[in-house]
Amino acid sequence: MAAVVLASCASFQHGQDQGALRQVADLVNAGQAQKLAAMSVVPFLVDGEIVLLQADVAAFWDGIVKAGFRLEGATLDQGAAAGAGSFRQFADTMEVRTFFIRYVKKGARVLQATTSTGARVLLIVKSDWFSWKIIGWKGPY
Amino acid sequence: MKSAIAGAVFLLIGAMALSAVPADVTYTEGDASIRLSNGRQQDAQIGDVMNTGDTLKTGRDGQAELDQKGVTIKIAGNTVFTLMEREQGGKTSSVLAVALGSIKFHYGKITGSEPLVSTNSAVAGARGTDFTVFSGADGSTLIAVDAGEVTVESQGQSVDLAANEGVEVPLGRPPGDKFTVQRNQVDYSAWNEGKLDAMLSDPLAAMTSIETAMAGYEKDVADYDALFKQYRAQLNTERANLVTIINQKGKEEANKYESEVVTPLVVKTTALGLNLRYSSLAALSLRRFVAGRLYVFLKARYITQPSAETWTSFLTHYNELLAGFETSIVPHLVEADI
Repeated sequence: MAAVVLASCASFQHGQDQGALRQVADLVNAGQAQKLAAMSVVPFLVDGEIVLLQADVAAFWDGIVKAGFRLEGATLDQGAAAGAGSFRQFADTMEVRTFFIRYVKKGARVLQATTSTGARVLLIVKSDWFSWKIIGWKGPY
Repeated sequence: MKSAIAGAVFLLIGAMALSAVPADVTYTEGDASIRLSNGRQQDAQIGDVMNTGDTLKTGRDGQAELDQKGVTIKIAGNTVFTLMEREQGGKTSSVLAVALGSIKFHYGKITGSEPLVSTNSAVAGARGTDFTVFSGADGSTLIAVDAGEVTVESQGQSVDLAANEGVEVPLGRPPGDKFTVQRNQVDYSAWNEGKLDAMLSDPLAAMTSIETAMAGYEKDVADYDALFKQYRAQLNTERANLVTIINQKGKEEANKYESEVVTPLVVKTTALGLNLRYSSLAALSLRRFVAGRLYVFLKARYITQPSAETWTSFLTHYNELLAGFETSIVPHLVEADI
């Protein structure tokens, strides 16, 4: 019985992670920079950089969309709860470690995805009622 | 070791911070938040008090106004402002640090101990009443004076501005030639947009300026740190001597020794700790609001061309800058700074 409950929880979480990835990927692919900016919080992490101004996060999404970047065929490789060691996936620095300690709240997920061209990206997301908030981005790498 | 040193700096600064001049929030509009020196964040509200180390940040639609004992500070949108302190010429000065954006200052009364205004590229000392400081995306500064006089200093050179005069200070360089500017004539958005475009079109030139400025901060931090450790060690020795004097020669002799030897050492060590902290935070500001923003904007621009020479050359310089920052500056920062 316990095994069934655990399996269904894991399956539910996987579905949630996939949903979050799909939502972000669809918006990137549709060039919806404004919606991506609206979903993003500050401070926001780009690779190893902490972005403090909402206008800069908006400029980042606008920039990648204008550059023609797409997350075509993005599939979820892994989804995990953001934890004490998650910072190393982004950058092994005191700043990024502190970012995870201070600004990545309990319940946040680190999603690793691969696009159809083989590019890998990382997302930090958190469920916020019935929507998703984007806390960070890394990639393609 | 790292946290022990940072902790010691904080302990020493603690006593000095009590005499720091706080700033009262007198007006806010739109997105305006304060990050306290302990790292806690809160929306800025009328009646809030900002103390040394606190940072006020406004969003695109945000504005705020502060009063610091007669100095009115009007903070525009997309601006990052920190209340700091440093020791200069034997006395502690408030420093109003504009990391990014634009701020208008009005000094109600000139007393001779006005706070300094600092940006990523310049320090301004006011002997006047009304001026505006613009801190650009590339770390450069534009200062326009409406009334009174302002001395702007960078890289050991200074220029005196009178009413209706302005000057631009590129990052890591001395002030340029002053020019005539009428009240409210400067369009900060257009000026800043031009700076951002220039920076993105020649990121290596921008990185050279950032590297020059960062090298200056790293040297300051190294110098202050060495002196701070030296004076702290001496202070510890003299405190031990003081205990011996109390035991062997009595309280009167100990009081004399304390006022003549120990207290001056406390003052000097505290001042060094304050300046070490100031330089470390100034370096963080340069790293976060100039180098970091450049990285994010360039990353977006070249995200589909990771092999482009402009991007790869930039990355080489950027990674070197971060490596130096990690070694030289990070040991003097604490989590609350991030």
